[in-house]
Amino acid sequence: MLHYILRRSAVGLLMLLALTVLIFGMLRLAPGDPIDAYINPSVPMSASDLGALRVRLGLDQPLPVQYFAWLGAAVTGDFGYSIQRGGEPVLPLVLGRIGPTILLMFSGLLIATVAGIAAGIISAVRRNQPTDVGLSVLAFVGISSPAFLTALLGLYIFAVMLRWAPAGGMLTPGAPFSLTDLLAHLILPASLLAIGHGALIMRYMRSSLLEVLSQDYVRTARAKGVTEFWVIVKHAVRNALLPVITLIGSTIGIAIGGAIFIESIFDWPGMGLLMVNAVLRRDYPVIMCATLLTGACVIIVNLLTDIAYAAVDPRIKVA
Amino acid sequence: MHRRNFGRLLAAMGFALAAATAMTPAPAIAQDAKTITGGFDVGPGGFPGNFNPLTATAGFTWLSTYYEPLVIYSADLSQIEGALASEHTISEDSLTYTFNLVEATWHDGEPFTSADVKFTLELAKNADSGSLFAARLADIASIETPDERTVVVTLSQPNSAFLSVLAQVMMLPEHALADIHVAEIAQNDWWSTEPVGTGPFRFVQYVSDQYVELAAFEDYREGRPKVDRLINRYFANPAAAVAALKAGEIQFTFAEPDDAKTFEGNDAFRVIEGDSFVVNYIGFNHRSGLWDDVRVRQAVMHAIDREGIVASLFGGAAKLANCGYVVPQFVPEGIEPYAYDPEKARTLLEEAGWAEINGDAPISWLTYYNTPQVANVMAAIQAMLAQVGINVVPRALDTPGYNGIVRGENWQDFPLVYAGLQNGPNPASLNVGLNAAQLPPAGNNIMRVEMPDLTAALDGAMAETDPVAAEAKWQEVCRVMNAELPWGPMWVASRYGVVSSDLVDFVWTPAPGGGPFAAHPEDWDIAQ
Repeated sequence: MLHYILRRSAVGLLMLLALTVLIFGMLRLAPGDPIDAYINPSVPMSASDLGALRVRLGLDQPLPVQYFAWLGAAVTGDFGYSIQRGGEPVLPLVLGRIGPTILLMFSGLLIATVAGIAAGIISAVRRNQPTDVGLSVLAFVGISSPAFLTALLGLYIFAVMLRWAPAGGMLTPGAPFSLTDLLAHLILPASLLAIGHGALIMRYMRSSLLEVLSQDYVRTARAKGVTEFWVIVKHAVRNALLPVITLIGSTIGIAIGGAIFIESIFDWPGMGLLMVNAVLRRDYPVIMCATLLTGACVIIVNLLTDIAYAAVDPRIKVA
Repeated sequence: MHRRNFGRLLAAMGFALAAATAMTPAPAIAQDAKTITGGFDVGPGGFPGNFNPLTATAGFTWLSTYYEPLVIYSADLSQIEGALASEHTISEDSLTYTFNLVEATWHDGEPFTSADVKFTLELAKNADSGSLFAARLADIASIETPDERTVVVTLSQPNSAFLSVLAQVMMLPEHALADIHVAEIAQNDWWSTEPVGTGPFRFVQYVSDQYVELAAFEDYREGRPKVDRLINRYFANPAAAVAALKAGEIQFTFAEPDDAKTFEGNDAFRVIEGDSFVVNYIGFNHRSGLWDDVRVRQAVMHAIDREGIVASLFGGAAKLANCGYVVPQFVPEGIEPYAYDPEKARTLLEEAGWAEINGDAPISWLTYYNTPQVANVMAAIQAMLAQVGINVVPRALDTPGYNGIVRGENWQDFPLVYAGLQNGPNPASLNVGLNAAQLPPAGNNIMRVEMPDLTAALDGAMAETDPVAAEAKWQEVCRVMNAELPWGPMWVASRYGVVSSDLVDFVWTPAPGGGPFAAHPEDWDIAQ
């Protein structure tokens, strides 16, 4: 197992390196740089002043020089300063955003997992009954609704029309911190984030459980007089969870993508909002650092998923 | 447990979870302090996340709540009035400006003096500080401080835009910034952690990407502000700010025209409409070889039903422009109105030999505007131009992408643009986009306009500091623009803000770059 983890970690490091080259190259291929982002085209500005800024920031250097300068500093933990935020150090800025994103993402995943598994079990147990049909229709709607659409609709219905939840932000501006305030701001974006995932998990759970329920050992358990509740919970659900765990782990990356939409719409101060703003303003140091950390998270979570998979099912050997 | 009961249990758990989450109450804004919360940096006049007024290209509405300039535009943007300078005089040769300062204190209790003015102006004209005012203040030859309340600024040449530029230069405290090396001042966290100004509100905190909080400055020279706190909430886009306004979480925001319409007839809100002071134009790239013949440029103007577009897509909320200006005092009598006449456009194109110049080959038409309204406008113009044989293909980019292309040298990448340029309140704003001396990299003449008559007219107007004589000079600029069509001028559209009816004496105008203008935030109040 240790050998496996080390090997996967080494591959992960190489993937991260490749990711930095890719992102760095793609950023420079896009027209415009941080200075161009500074200019409001309708405001009269002197281009020579902006040119001097470009030189001061080293943006006039050849690309390989810029990349290796960044990489050399990055391996020592120095990710530089944000160009668009008055010189705010990048690493604390990005690290400060991981917490809100993890909170949002895992709240969403928690809601999706609990609701998805529960709905999947109900749907499987009530196969072909009205409950099953109703839940399946809801699941298909959830799967086929793009994140930005559900987020905008949810914002309009629950925040603007019904005023059940705040329309954005993580805390009430100027108010002292309170858990209730945080939860009030969290619940709507987290629930909307959970819709797509919950629907997907529900479908996987349903089909997986149906397959398990037809296995011989389930029939044997029933024949031995085990109650239906324990047959499902102890014998069927545990085995049916295996593909669902894989699904949850492998869609973390998609969850991050969904979080980016949700954060932008709800002004949630996480990695997504930070990255969207950084891309729009060509804040290269922030984009590089945030991408690197996000990539590292995806790789680590995938590795942990594989390990969890092996732990849940002893038959699986990692080699 | 029976299978049915098990399902019921799970369903009950699901409902309980959903109910618990839905019932979590949304907290009200703390009621103990009178607080105005707004989206002050939403829209084209805002600059969220920028705290350094020397590097600001916009955002002056908010910055001027805690900083102040020497002079400032009036709320209707019709004239420049005193702020930290109670009065100013200009010498007959238009080279010497004398400012008499008010008695004011910085938020940390230190007195505001002429030394602070000298320090600020020297910092602003020093490009090493990262200041974006360096080129615009380059005419300053000397700054003298005969006493603590007087500043004398001498220019090397007359500059009619000088006071207008000064209106955006926020005064900075020498005692707080003098010890920071000039080259490091732009990167210093002082701006976003402990800035000190002289404005009616003082800085409290910035919560990254969320909001900026100010508190009333008790010793403000015009009296303590009527509200205790001012909060500038950040939004990813204007639509999100409008949602927060409708949800009652904020009391003011800029709004796109379509959003502003949704507040019509709603007594809980007041819609503020104002001139954008940005003239929208179709920019001809004069190095692309497509637009050299003035008849082609005239044909573009005659091919577009501008009145129809303003009526149908702007809801009438735009003024047609036949040069860079729409303000009556800068528009002379008898200029060509370029009425919609597609037949005339076809004739002009035929005379110019358009078939040989380009024919029906597609012409990329760039813009940095990404609103649905502009997309519709460009689609309408595309169809109108196609009717006379000009095949344009709209392409919307984000701002840095657009700037990166139009400041480059690949003419085929931007033969045509749809853009805007500030044309007021100071008419000299157009100079940087049209004067031949302002070609990149020196200036912002991105369409590479090199028209000697226009440059001469602009130079003449720029040098004229007498307001009455200047009007005639700017009219001459308009006349030349109208005849030679360096751009295809389109219109000056209105912009909107929406404010809660609960706010009293709240002043806002959609000034370009956010102004600044004399909004007097100390008078803003909330109805009981």
